Amino acid sequence: MITTLLRVLGDRHARPIRRTIAWMVAAALAEGLTYALLVPLLATLLGGHPDRAWPWLAAFALAVAAFGLLRHRADLSGFRSGTTLLRGTYHRLGDHLARLPVGWFGAARVGEVSVLASRGVLTAMSVLAHLLGPFVSATVTPLAIVAVLTAYDWRLGLAALAAAPAVAMVQRWTARSQAAADARRHDLDHEAAARVVEYLRAQPVLRTGGRTGEHLLDDALREVAAASRRGVLAALPGIVGLTLVVQLTFTALLVMGTALALGGGIGAAQVVAVLVLAARGADPLLTLADLGGRLRVARSELDRLDQVLGTPPLPVPDERASPDGHDLEFSSVTFGQVLDGVSLSVPHGGRLAVVGPSGAGKSTLLRLIARFHDVDAGAVRVGGVDVRAQDPDDLMSRLAIVFQDVYLFDGTIEDNVRLGRPDADDTQVRAAAAAARLDEVVDRLPDGWATVVGEGGALLSGGERQRVAIARALLKDAPVVLLDEVTSALDPVNEAAVHDGIERLMAGRTVVLVAHRLRTVRDADQVVFLDGGRIVEQGGHDDLLRLGGRYAGFWDARNSATASAVAATGNAWSSPPGSST
Amino acid sequence: MNAGLLRPHLPAFTAVVVLQAIGALAGLAPLLAVAEIGRTLLAPGPVDQAHVWLVVALGTAGMLVRLLGTAASSGIGHLLDNRVQLAFRRRLAASLGRVPIGWLSRRRTGELAKVVGEDVSAVHPFIAHAPGELVSAFLVPLVSAVYLVTVDWRLTLITLVPVVLAIAMVPLMMAPSRLREQEAFDAAMGRIASSAVEFVHGIAEVKAFGGGGRAHGRFRTAVDEFTDTFLRWVRGMAGIAAAMQLALSPPFVLLVVLTGGTVMITTGAIAPADLLPFLLLGLGLTAPVAALGHGFDDLTAARRAVGRLREVLDEPPLPPPAHPRTPTGHRVELRGVRFGYDPGREVLRGIDLVLEPGTVTAVVGPSGSGKSTLVQLLPRFFDPTGGSVTVGGVDLRDLRERDLYRTVSFVFQDVRLLRASVADNIALAVPDATRDDVVRAARLAGVHDRVLDLPHGYDTVLGEDTELSGGEAQRIAIARALLADTPVLVLDEATAFADPPTEQAVRATLAALAGGDRTVLVIAHRLETIADADTVVVLENGVVAERGAPADLLAAGGRFAAHWQAHHTAIGTGNGTGNGGAR
Repeated sequence: MITTLLRVLGDRHARPIRRTIAWMVAAALAEGLTYALLVPLLATLLGGHPDRAWPWLAAFALAVAAFGLLRHRADLSGFRSGTTLLRGTYHRLGDHLARLPVGWFGAARVGEVSVLASRGVLTAMSVLAHLLGPFVSATVTPLAIVAVLTAYDWRLGLAALAAAPAVAMVQRWTARSQAAADARRHDLDHEAAARVVEYLRAQPVLRTGGRTGEHLLDDALREVAAASRRGVLAALPGIVGLTLVVQLTFTALLVMGTALALGGGIGAAQVVAVLVLAARGADPLLTLADLGGRLRVARSELDRLDQVLGTPPLPVPDERASPDGHDLEFSSVTFGQVLDGVSLSVPHGGRLAVVGPSGAGKSTLLRLIARFHDVDAGAVRVGGVDVRAQDPDDLMSRLAIVFQDVYLFDGTIEDNVRLGRPDADDTQVRAAAAAARLDEVVDRLPDGWATVVGEGGALLSGGERQRVAIARALLKDAPVVLLDEVTSALDPVNEAAVHDGIERLMAGRTVVLVAHRLRTVRDADQVVFLDGGRIVEQGGHDDLLRLGGRYAGFWDARNSATASAVAATGNAWSSPPGSST
Repeated sequence: MNAGLLRPHLPAFTAVVVLQAIGALAGLAPLLAVAEIGRTLLAPGPVDQAHVWLVVALGTAGMLVRLLGTAASSGIGHLLDNRVQLAFRRRLAASLGRVPIGWLSRRRTGELAKVVGEDVSAVHPFIAHAPGELVSAFLVPLVSAVYLVTVDWRLTLITLVPVVLAIAMVPLMMAPSRLREQEAFDAAMGRIASSAVEFVHGIAEVKAFGGGGRAHGRFRTAVDEFTDTFLRWVRGMAGIAAAMQLALSPPFVLLVVLTGGTVMITTGAIAPADLLPFLLLGLGLTAPVAALGHGFDDLTAARRAVGRLREVLDEPPLPPPAHPRTPTGHRVELRGVRFGYDPGREVLRGIDLVLEPGTVTAVVGPSGSGKSTLVQLLPRFFDPTGGSVTVGGVDLRDLRERDLYRTVSFVFQDVRLLRASVADNIALAVPDATRDDVVRAARLAGVHDRVLDLPHGYDTVLGEDTELSGGEAQRIAIARALLADTPVLVLDEATAFADPPTEQAVRATLAALAGGDRTVLVIAHRLETIADADTVVVLENGVVAERGAPADLLAAGGRFAAHWQAHHTAIGTGNGTGNGGAR
């Protein structure tokens, strides 16, 4: 456990932790020492020489003072290093998450990682601040008492020592049987948490659906309850077992002590002192059951943390090559099941449009340029240099990306725009906003620039979010622009507005855009039609139309509807899709 | 705590308390046995061996009873806790399923999910531990103290000195400033949780703008705030906590008892053997204070968690109709409808609109004009703040929920698929639909072939076995609405442009639905939809700016004509690209 802790924390923190543990052990030993002094003290008090007790009492008081001081030191050290570690671990996790490939964050992971990054770290770090001290004291103090017992009478000592392996065995057995139950419950907890989120987000649908989908959440809740019930039942034998061992040991000492005293083997006063001592040793041992459970919880959280931190981030090259220009090139790129031997190139300042049915790999193409994933085979080059050989920050600084689903951070509109270039002055921010027609939105909102956008930008409409994203990209002023179906979700007015912004964004830059409807597809220097991860057709818009292949069919299907609507004649409902020619 | 929720569990609660009391009191037996053995052995004269062995046997029996009593109490307590937690969660889910959608949309999903998950779990100590622990923490010391007083009242008072010292420190821990820090601590944790959700969900933007790790600065800031608060809280508590711990620690208690005992023995005030019960039972007197200190954190955390639970449970749901009525027909009327999310900022400012059965009404207007809000009133996501919405002559507020959703279905921009099979997702509103019905709807929505390509066809679990693209999700939602087959359909075309099949599906859906007696309201994004609507309503700034047949509006040359022109330019079609645009 300590090893995992140290690995998660990194070497930098190893020393404070070892120091904290040393303080804790010292405090536990001091506590044991006070109990050891109990025997001679009681022997004098009960053995008919109470006047000889004073020196022993003084020694006892000194030992208690030492214990108090050491324990305070241990607590402080634990809290101090615990807090430093807490901060360090949070930061380390945050930095690590930011360096992991975006592809790692699947839908299933997002929930789990969010929990880990909040409450999980705290639980894992509570080991140091809250659990380690009591654990050390619950094990070291009874051992010290056993040592003292042995010093007074080896038979009693031996009987007490026999408990040690039994306690250890029970603890191990409990840990093992509980670990499986814990893991299962953890999975179910996450399942339930994901269901709760789903339930909350899908409320509109669930309500219209006549609430039939609610059983999904209820099933998850009941499974959590069932698993936790099994966990309780699984834990019971461990708790009972530990208590039984401790009580048996105490009974043995009681019987042996009584027999020895009655037989005259040891003085009555000594035996009574020894029994008081034995009673002292039993209590801390009994707390082990509870501590064990809490340690296990912390440990499993620590393991998860270790696992995430152990996931390799995107490799960063030692020697970073500097790209020359801003042309793009894919050479025989294969990625998972998505892209299969794709080769293409976009010259510096060129404009490539990617078209194809959904699932064709269009977005993946963009994401590979931004190195959200690394290719399985082939290479993606920007400025003639493989993206894997470039500094990731450097690469990102040369890309402006506008996604289809814009995710805004919960903050003001201004914060979100400024993300594009944090050091931009107000004039630059306002100019970018004006170019993206975001100023219209800002003027309409009562709080203007200070309007808070909500989690994910939920308080803005799709068109408004899109304008924020475009303003952000404009402000970034990067030489390479990647656009992913930017206007597909916009109404005519928004689309017209955003269109102007996009034109400004693309001017004079190397552009790759995934789009269907924009004039920009037609205006692109080059169009690539992607299907099933392969390039099916490639060329200029007019060439591809003349070719009369897939792209031409696509274009026809799209324009027929619009064209008939523009003509505004007759009832287009009656015409089957795509048959207007 | 919520009495109504706990009442059914009263017998189990009683069992927990009684068993714990028996076990805890039996636990005194071995300690009393040691004291008695000591007294007998130290007494002058011959030792009564039979008495000694009887005491040993009684002590051992006491231990056994204690083991059985506490184990049974703890087991029952945890199982009870388990049942109560499930009941709480179900009740929260039911409550969240009935609050206005508007209330939900103003809250962070992560925080609400925390209420159902962690906050309910935080109640655990209240139920599983508190009853048992409180019993042993107060009953045992009480019985011990009474017994010790019978031995010697003066030494009993001395033994109580550490307890008094510790109690004197309790107000310091409960000081308002401490509680404020605790609240700040909780709030800081909440901020970490939401920033973590945001950080992880927005990872693509984090990457795209992550130069120098700036974009995840919010997470880092939340972390720093949290650790600062944590440190302040710990610092505030550490000194008092340490002093309290020391006062209650066995070595210190023993020191006090031994000092007092030594004085009294040397002065002959008590017999040496009388010191023994104090050494053995005296430590137990600290239990109530220790329990307060120890369980304090958990219990205050639980109390605050319960506060958050209450907040959700107390949120009034959209009121169900007092006198439910049945609609006749499905003519939709909006009369003087006003609505605002925040007081003082109206989004809809007096809308009058009649949607006749068998007609398609297209709503257009700039973003922020109130289009989305308007259509969300029909499935009663919100109630209007003024005016009324009626279906078949009945105000939506007088419709049973079931009747409402049998009448109105919708396909909105924000498509939410459940992590369930494709078939279940499509049949959400019609759980008893046959597979044939589901397939028919999927075919109409143009998603059937795509579903067959999935690993398990219609049994593929979405979000687990596979992820669907936005357009595909939209088509599943369309299939859902087609299967629901309600007389009123509300549709937002927003993602219709996602890809050609989706666009065709939307078109086919509208074509299939528009023929009959249906009332269709659509937020139009495509010119074709607008052109073919029976009525076009132009919304601006929360009021209807223009309305009428599309051709008339175009001819009138008003706002609608201007919008039309704008779209025309954006798409850039109609200038003959060799595809036969002019038919």
